[in-house]
Amino acid sequence: MQEHTAIGDPVSAAPAVPYEKLEEVFDDIRSHLLYDHELHGCLNCGICTATCPSAYYYDYSPREIVQLLWTENLEGIYDAMQEKIWACAQCYTCAARCPFENSPGGLVMIMREVAIKHGMQSAKDVLRPFSRVLLKVISTGNQLAPNMITREAFPDWGPNVSKVDAPLNILRKAIPVPTMHTMDTAWEVNLKTSVELYTIWEATGVLDQLEQVDENLFDLVTDVMDEKRDEYNEWLEEQADAGE
Amino acid sequence: MSRRLTEETMDKPEAAKPAYTGFGDEWKPSNLTPAEARAATSWVEAKIDKRSMLTRKDRVEDIRDAMWQLEKDGEIVVHRVDERHQPVVAKTLYGWEKKIPTTNHWHHKSCGQCGNIPGYPSSVMWLMNELDVAYIDETDQTSCTAWNYHGSGIGNVVSLAAVFLRNFHQAYVSAKAQGLPEGTFYPLVHCGTSFGNYKEMRIFLMHSAELREEVKKILGKLGRLVDGKLLIPEEIVHYSEWLHVMRDKIRERQTIDVSGIRATVHPACHVYKMVPEDVIYDDSVLNGDRVAVSTGLLQTLGAEVVDYSTWYDCCGFGFRHIIGEREFTRSFAIDRKIKVAVEEAKADVMIGHDTGCITTLDKNQWIGKAVDKVYALPIMADCQFAALALGAHPYKLAQLHWHASPFEQLLEKLGIDWEKAKAEFEAYLEEVKAGRIETLYDPKRAITSGEGYVKPPVPAAIAGPAE
Repeated sequence: MQEHTAIGDPVSAAPAVPYEKLEEVFDDIRSHLLYDHELHGCLNCGICTATCPSAYYYDYSPREIVQLLWTENLEGIYDAMQEKIWACAQCYTCAARCPFENSPGGLVMIMREVAIKHGMQSAKDVLRPFSRVLLKVISTGNQLAPNMITREAFPDWGPNVSKVDAPLNILRKAIPVPTMHTMDTAWEVNLKTSVELYTIWEATGVLDQLEQVDENLFDLVTDVMDEKRDEYNEWLEEQADAGE
Repeated sequence: MSRRLTEETMDKPEAAKPAYTGFGDEWKPSNLTPAEARAATSWVEAKIDKRSMLTRKDRVEDIRDAMWQLEKDGEIVVHRVDERHQPVVAKTLYGWEKKIPTTNHWHHKSCGQCGNIPGYPSSVMWLMNELDVAYIDETDQTSCTAWNYHGSGIGNVVSLAAVFLRNFHQAYVSAKAQGLPEGTFYPLVHCGTSFGNYKEMRIFLMHSAELREEVKKILGKLGRLVDGKLLIPEEIVHYSEWLHVMRDKIRERQTIDVSGIRATVHPACHVYKMVPEDVIYDDSVLNGDRVAVSTGLLQTLGAEVVDYSTWYDCCGFGFRHIIGEREFTRSFAIDRKIKVAVEEAKADVMIGHDTGCITTLDKNQWIGKAVDKVYALPIMADCQFAALALGAHPYKLAQLHWHASPFEQLLEKLGIDWEKAKAEFEAYLEEVKAGRIETLYDPKRAITSGEGYVKPPVPAAIAGPAE
């Protein structure tokens, strides 16, 4: 039997990664429900990288991702999961162009899911700025809210959030769509809708993923979920009482 | 080229093989000269300038075939596009037919549009009012949650599929709140990412019994099954497809001449690169080499649509990058889209049909001043441009004040007095402060269950034949 040594980076103080861990990570990738749907073969033609926006600005190549997986290069896969997979812009131009009908963008998503499952520090670091979106989407089902767009959050977007100067709540009420007179969510969300969404999160392991990435955020989100569920149950009880 | 490969690289002895390079074991450097590299790139460019995805026609399955079979087998129920939706048939990439409903829409809103570009959905609904098209905009819906998934990796195929079918089930039952039969309203998806994601999820669901089983368990708990089965939509329809099939009717109501406008179109990746076989192409629109939506509408309205070399590039949104690594987003948006549209296409405007693209291209011009990349290109959605052409108020209805790009210069070119319109809107804000708010529909119709629901009388205009 071939012996494997731990994989380490000679210029990094990080401890070497045992070979078993690399196998475990690859097994999780390979057993993903969509893996066979996203990978069919590769002749290294590179049309994916030629058309990739991220390849313009990052040390990132969708062809490399496909090759690492296709050749089962466990060290390379683990290495790519530390940084490279987070460069992908998820445009799926690569998938649209690939003559083999691979989806490098889809493979990257599988690798991101597995990076989170394994609690990789790189995933935690890279997702830190994304926490406001995560909080919003998991607690409300909306990913963006009007009050998230502020000059402080987006200083590079210019001096004006709106070119008409008025309080945000007035500007929102001046939108002629009644469901959009909101500040905390993009539209008014029915309480029952949020509660249904929480059931989906719990049943599909999404809350576990969140806990892996950010425990504090997980605590915050579960508090919001408990409050909304209580609110909904109170409303149901009121309805039952009124019907008696 | 091949000779050089043999002599210089392939004959290397195994012992001389370099250490891990990240390129995989089989990789060999091509050692192309700059001229050869240019020739290879030109080949790629020539390919992508045509409808290259046509080459796959024989290998691609129409997932609707699998869907009908599963319904026949008693596994699923299909929400049909029927006469209540007055469909118009459009042709997709391979010439397949796709039924686009033209009335009785259930607006599946976009979180990014509603949160950040509110003139986007308001323009769609205003156009529907103008065309006397029935719809419902209700509070019982979530976003698709796919922006978050593509950005973070939090979420998975089961959660995405469950969210998809929960929302579409609500669309199916929503008409009951108005005393109408189930299925009266058909979902119209506003966001390009939702559109692409839902189409992918439908494919995954049709292919995987395991996934169907998992999703069915969850939707069963939520009471979101029909006759104990998953409800699958016959068609997944993007609002830009509705605009496309309605473009001649829209033109009939046009009041503003747009013939002097040079327009570039940014086709959205998640609209036409995800599940490309389900995207509308039309031989009369740029020879059928580009996705037909938006371009067809602009041409019908009389604008001059100008093609440009980076039309196929994404906008740079990146899902994660727009939040946490904006140097990528703004660099790509400026260098590969805005700059090309301005310098090469001499465009007056760039028109899009997706949430993240409009946000990215609109918001990322101002920062260019910091690096002497000073561009001023108005950015808006196709529906906003169409609404303006039909005389919609640029602030009250198209809500252009939320846009950072210089839409004012486009309005001047269209002969619209934006300063007067802005003053009118500012006066309207005083009315809003006093509680006198104008809306596109009766707000009571937005609540279909739970707190605040009031059962309204059945409006005759949307009461179609019972199933």
